[in-house]
Amino acid sequence: MGLNRRGAEQLKKHTDQGQMTRVYKSPWDEVPLRGAGTSGSKGSNFFSKSPDEMASALEQFVNTVRTLSSHGNFRELCEYLNKSSEILLKNTQHLDNVLETLDTQQHSLGILAVLCAKFSAPVSSNSQDNRFSQTQDFILGCNGEQIRFAPDTFAELCHSLTSYLVEQRQPLKGIVLLQKAISKLRLYDSQLTSIHSDLCQLCLLAKCFKPALEIIDIDITGVCQEISHNPNGPHFDAKYFLLYYYYGGMIYLAVHNLDRALYFFEVAITTPSHAVSHIMLESYKKYILVSLLLHGKIQAVPKYASQVVTRFIKPLSQPYHDLANAFVSNNTAELNTVLNKHSEAFTRDHNLGLVKQVSSVLYKKNIQRLTKTFLTLSLSDVASRVGLSSPAEAERHILHMIENKQIFATINQKDGMVVFRDEPDKYSGPEVLKGLEEQLTLCMELDKQILAMDEEIQVNPQYVKKSTGLQDEEQPSKSTYAM
Amino acid sequence: MIAQNAVEPMQVDAPPEDNDNNEEESYVVENPSLDLEVYANSYVGLAKLYRLIYIADHCPSLRLEALKMAISYVMSTYNVNLYQILHQKLSEATTALSVPDVAASSTSQDIPTMDNMWMETRSKKAALKLEKLDNDLKNYKSNSIKESIRRGHDDLGDHYLDCGDLSNALKCYSRARDYCTSGKHIVNMCLNVIKVSVHLENWSHVLSYVSKAEGTPDFSDSQSKDANQVILTKLKCAAGLAELATKKYKSAAKHFLQANLDHCDFPELLSPNNVAMYGGLCALATFDRHELQKNVIFSSSFKLFLELEPQLRDIIFKFYESKYASCLKLLDEIKDNILLDMYLAPHVNTLYTQIRNRALIQYFSPYLSADMHKMALAFNRTVAALEDELMQLILDGQIQARIDSHNKILFAKDVDQRSTTFEKSLLMGKEYQRRTRMLILRAAVLKNKIHVKGIPVA
Repeated sequence: MGLNRRGAEQLKKHTDQGQMTRVYKSPWDEVPLRGAGTSGSKGSNFFSKSPDEMASALEQFVNTVRTLSSHGNFRELCEYLNKSSEILLKNTQHLDNVLETLDTQQHSLGILAVLCAKFSAPVSSNSQDNRFSQTQDFILGCNGEQIRFAPDTFAELCHSLTSYLVEQRQPLKGIVLLQKAISKLRLYDSQLTSIHSDLCQLCLLAKCFKPALEIIDIDITGVCQEISHNPNGPHFDAKYFLLYYYYGGMIYLAVHNLDRALYFFEVAITTPSHAVSHIMLESYKKYILVSLLLHGKIQAVPKYASQVVTRFIKPLSQPYHDLANAFVSNNTAELNTVLNKHSEAFTRDHNLGLVKQVSSVLYKKNIQRLTKTFLTLSLSDVASRVGLSSPAEAERHILHMIENKQIFATINQKDGMVVFRDEPDKYSGPEVLKGLEEQLTLCMELDKQILAMDEEIQVNPQYVKKSTGLQDEEQPSKSTYAM
Repeated sequence: MIAQNAVEPMQVDAPPEDNDNNEEESYVVENPSLDLEVYANSYVGLAKLYRLIYIADHCPSLRLEALKMAISYVMSTYNVNLYQILHQKLSEATTALSVPDVAASSTSQDIPTMDNMWMETRSKKAALKLEKLDNDLKNYKSNSIKESIRRGHDDLGDHYLDCGDLSNALKCYSRARDYCTSGKHIVNMCLNVIKVSVHLENWSHVLSYVSKAEGTPDFSDSQSKDANQVILTKLKCAAGLAELATKKYKSAAKHFLQANLDHCDFPELLSPNNVAMYGGLCALATFDRHELQKNVIFSSSFKLFLELEPQLRDIIFKFYESKYASCLKLLDEIKDNILLDMYLAPHVNTLYTQIRNRALIQYFSPYLSADMHKMALAFNRTVAALEDELMQLILDGQIQARIDSHNKILFAKDVDQRSTTFEKSLLMGKEYQRRTRMLILRAAVLKNKIHVKGIPVA
């Protein structure tokens, strides 16, 4: 059953008599539940049950949480909480009282369930909204060991919080909180949780990339299997995986780390898939643009990408393929025609900025091509060969590129000539050796990692059984570890 | 046995492949120096007709003559269809010619008129012959004499070919396959099929039958050496033609170079002059200097072919002697004539560009720096045009050089091996890291069974 997950998305304005707003910092046993029940029952209309019945249901909930928590029966508690979500949802107006009776550190799971119920319940228009501060207190103070028993609920809470903040247009407020949440949920630094995608989303909206970079710079090696109550065994929702790599790619784009951006989009489009995901489609569009910016042509999509990409996503991104074809032909006029023709599509996809970058890069690419073929060339020749309108404009472009060390040239203004030079010898000196050594270390570390993974598989009982069993049965069975 | 005959022995009427020269633009050749009489006499049958029609379509000055020749020739065949078409073309040509200058119309002395009587009797005769051949074949079949059945099929095929019905001719020729008793027959059958397939422009068919004929077991030893050579040359020519038509110029050249002049007797398809021209141009465009020397210039057999086309011989020798200006000039001179060749015309421009590029590359190869003014002189070009050509070659990686546009000098590029090695290894390292990261991540993805599923329709 679990909590009503879709509930949070359909936040309808609905009247609700929950009045308790203050969060008592006093120990839970000092606030009698009975009192809370009576204060809430004043003038409120319960759905069907009498106030006493209601109160007793909640009382029982609190008691169960307390007992199971104190005994350390967290698994049992999780099951109980999953079953009791309905009770909580029916008594939204008393939930604040319940919260007061529970301790953040000791009853993290209970509070988690209550907060989730609060987010999925309809919001009252007149009561003060204390959900953010409550969630904040909870995330900062909760017990990591406990919440890892219910990673799905915890992630659910974070998703709710994210959409709440997006709605409130206050993305900045949640960034630190989600960082904390991630560090509580994951077991090791390179483990992916679905909260990662929330953090990236908030950082993008807040245009504050540093906190996200700290997270996305770490290469993911494992995935937190959040949804444990799945009939097919625990798994991780592909949506959040795709979102993480899509948002991550966009963040890298924003900080002009094209290499990483391309990597992230590539991950997104090579995700195994049986259906067209819109996230993949958008990733593919950006993949084309970034690969034009970085390599000057569309980088081939890896063979292991699912067929969906070639069969459905490619035809859906025709404007981008047109753009790429025009780009590869090195013809600025053609590129501009394509740009004008499809500008509507580009604007609709919010990719116009990137597309404009692509078109300006073409001039640079053409000038760089000239450096490969010419030693000297007049500015007017440069202009005509590159497709710029005047020698002055060509001069401006070349100057700019020289400043950015994209080409090595000198301009002779007297004759109006450009002298292209070879790249100065940049592979000498101790820095080069140091850089080389760093790269070597990185490669060796990765190699070690691969070896470790290989070893792990070699000694995996399942693998051993399969690989030896194969000879007996003569029946090749699909290995789970096949790449 | 007889029941089997009703079944098609093999698939013969596969649609002709798309040779993308369908969209060849119509061009007009103004001043050919072609002796039409001699040209036409080197071919027989459909080859002669098709070639004449091609000339008529592309050369206004020879149009009338070509059409007249074609008509007089077609009257010796049963091809009534083509006769009609030719007359139609002729009437178009005469009206087009007489309208602009009336004075010239007086020159149209003896334009043949359409002979309806001839057409009728000819059609009847054709039908009669067909019936007779058909009956003969049936007789042979009921008597189950293999050799006669084979001949009957061949005769029928010949007749169809004479009528211009190519697809039926192909069917008959290939049906004969079941009745071949010796290697000689098989080779004969292959040659027939190749002949028709060339006219149908089904080049893959041509190539497969060439290899079939060459693979026939007792083809190489059983027959007299002379006849063998004739067949071998025919096969090589057909294969060369097919490779040329499919733009594989190098293998086309290799095939043509194996032809033997003394045994080159293939008027149904090619004249020895054709072999020289096709082979020579393809070799020039695709062979490097060493290959050219060994396989063309010092080849005793191909030398004889080249004597037939003295201009081409001069071109090849000039090229080899690095006298590019005169070589290119001569090439331009013969361009008009080869544009009238139906098989070579679609490839002329590509071949010429390739020859030119090869010349440019060869010209520069011994130098460290070259004056572009002199180079332009050697290639009959303006300096600016030469610069563009060179730029393209440099970008394609065919010439390792850079242009000093200010002083118009071409400098060979010296590559700094050390930096390129550094660059390459660093790049490789980056690539390795990227791939390995992706690998590790993908392992995690698969292990956790992350994949996008369709949303079940509620």
